Amino acid sequence: MSLVMDRASAQSGLGIGAIVLIVFALFVLLCLAGIGFGSTWISFDKVAHVIFGGGEKSERLVVLQLRMPRVMAAAIAGAAIAFSGYLLQRITRNELASPGVLGVVDGAALGVVLFLALYSNESNALTVPVAWQPLAAAIGALAAITLVFILSGRQASSAIRLILFGIAVAAVAKALTTIFMLIGPIYQAAQAARWLAGSVNAIGWGEIQIMAWALLPVVAIAGLLARELPPADLDDVSSRSIGLNLPVYRVAVFAVAALLTAIAVAFVGGVGFIGLIAPHLARLLVGRARFAGIVTSMMLGAMMLVGADLLVRVAFAPTEVPAGTVTAIVGAPYFLFLLMRKDKTNG
Amino acid sequence: MASTMALPNRRSRLGASKATVYAGLIGLMALSMLMSLTLGYKIYSLDQVFGALFAHDGSETAVVIAGLRLPRALIAPLTGAALGMAGVIVQTLSRNRIASPDTLGLNGGASLAVVVGSVVFGVQSLAGLSLAAAFGAFITSIVVFGVAASAGGLSPLKIVLVGVTFASLSHALVEVILTSNEAQLQQLLFWLSGAFVDRPISLFYNGLPVVLVGAVLGIGLSRALDALQADDSTAAGLGVPLAAVRGVAFLAVALLTGAAVSMAGPVAFVGLVVPHAARRLVGLRHIHQLPAAALFGAVYTTLADVAARFVIYPVEAPVGAITAVVGAVVLLVLLARRAA
Repeated sequence: MSLVMDRASAQSGLGIGAIVLIVFALFVLLCLAGIGFGSTWISFDKVAHVIFGGGEKSERLVVLQLRMPRVMAAAIAGAAIAFSGYLLQRITRNELASPGVLGVVDGAALGVVLFLALYSNESNALTVPVAWQPLAAAIGALAAITLVFILSGRQASSAIRLILFGIAVAAVAKALTTIFMLIGPIYQAAQAARWLAGSVNAIGWGEIQIMAWALLPVVAIAGLLARELPPADLDDVSSRSIGLNLPVYRVAVFAVAALLTAIAVAFVGGVGFIGLIAPHLARLLVGRARFAGIVTSMMLGAMMLVGADLLVRVAFAPTEVPAGTVTAIVGAPYFLFLLMRKDKTNG
Repeated sequence: MASTMALPNRRSRLGASKATVYAGLIGLMALSMLMSLTLGYKIYSLDQVFGALFAHDGSETAVVIAGLRLPRALIAPLTGAALGMAGVIVQTLSRNRIASPDTLGLNGGASLAVVVGSVVFGVQSLAGLSLAAAFGAFITSIVVFGVAASAGGLSPLKIVLVGVTFASLSHALVEVILTSNEAQLQQLLFWLSGAFVDRPISLFYNGLPVVLVGAVLGIGLSRALDALQADDSTAAGLGVPLAAVRGVAFLAVALLTGAAVSMAGPVAFVGLVVPHAARRLVGLRHIHQLPAAALFGAVYTTLADVAARFVIYPVEAPVGAITAVVGAVVLLVLLARRAA
């Protein structure tokens, strides 16, 4: 019922603006909750106090060094993955497309595991700066999506082929990841496995800085590309007639989407389903409006990861269940629902 | 016999008669099991192997061969046979050549059931856990087929997406249960690694009857399965009780997959690869497809297990990782060949 209302309100610009504002307010609230909740509760006004430079020393430590990095990392990574999913769903014109099913996530994970295997010494310390890690993830993700493209061949415009090959490439990457985890000196296999499942519990300000700086230019390019996103029902021929070289444009969008996911995955691991669900929910909320769609997708993606991290901290403390498990447990049924619903409406 | 099934009963594509194929597969199976007994971190002679098996003298060599190598050499082929047959039945039921216990998430469901049974319900006995695995595979197969069918038919895309989603769902649930119960982690990793190392021989005796029941059910259904390869109305026209056949076939798949998972954990993509080889060797009739898949699956899995000992020698790779790489590449080739 609310969906009908949302769709109706999505018609007017005012409605969209209001919805985006409400989502933003919820996002801020969730981030504050993410900082406030934990082994000790810190009230919102104290959190605000600390952020603006006040507060007691112990509170400052907990908020600034322990909780804020987690929330920030989750928000940034979630937003990047959601943006990536938005681009992929729009460019393939298929709401089942996502960084996960197109092999990008597992490709990036393979890149990172290879990087860790190649550049670790006996005591498991990295021999090169961690800043190179997103580059490794990006190479892995780009390799995976390139492979998907090549294999799909001339029908690369068919979303179904892309998705099927994406799943197969993901399976290859996953298998290789397992093998390299064993070959390499990453003997804390449990640690690596936890990272693969996706979690933000060990992240610090340094990594967040690297992630943010790496994402900044990519998000800017993605934003520019998104302005050119063609109407959803435009095919190759008619897009050429309006002066858009769709094949080239499509490759660029895929590459940027892969990079967005890769950089996030490099730091928070293989978080599943955010890239699939956030853009989908955003479309339910704000319709096909482009700018609002992107912003809402990103905020929803951020909220999903911040919320998942909050949930595992509160519900499973003191053990560290990876946040990625929550997004998968919530996301998988939603995806199945989407699969069933899609064909009922499309006949 | 004259059931007018238009299935080719000619000689297989490779041109060999079926008797030759079976003889060859049985020979290969014996050979691969011998390799499994002799090759490894230490390489033993045939004399030592026979000595250990038939005249156990209590020496270290004999203990290693009879206690460590023998269980692997028995469990690996049994697991492969079970997964191969399960793959054949699943591909027929879904009329989908890229379906398998893995792509449908059945392995995941079985693993989840093992973990839940052990952690939540405190099941300890091997028999109980095998039962849990079969139960998990059964429930998952019904849910996956139900969801895929209600999502508008069992197209390759649908079935793979539903299966992959279920696999990641059960993986996440397993992860949650394991991380929040770290005490049992060690014991459960045993089930989840997908390997034949350090498996007690009791697992083999435990799995054998389950696999046999599954195989008998499958072969008993072979005529009906032949008919199901066409479409539902053809099968119904030939007098096949569709619902009953599907039900029993699900049960067979669940028993076979459950037995395999309970013995070795989820060994990836065996059920995807093996049926293709079996069809190439003996054609489409299930009365031949199923035994050929069992034999080929046994050879394939045993050889993969031997390879696992040497890929990153002296460390052992999990056999599941090796079959996953092979299977994923086969999946790519299958997709590339027949535009999905």
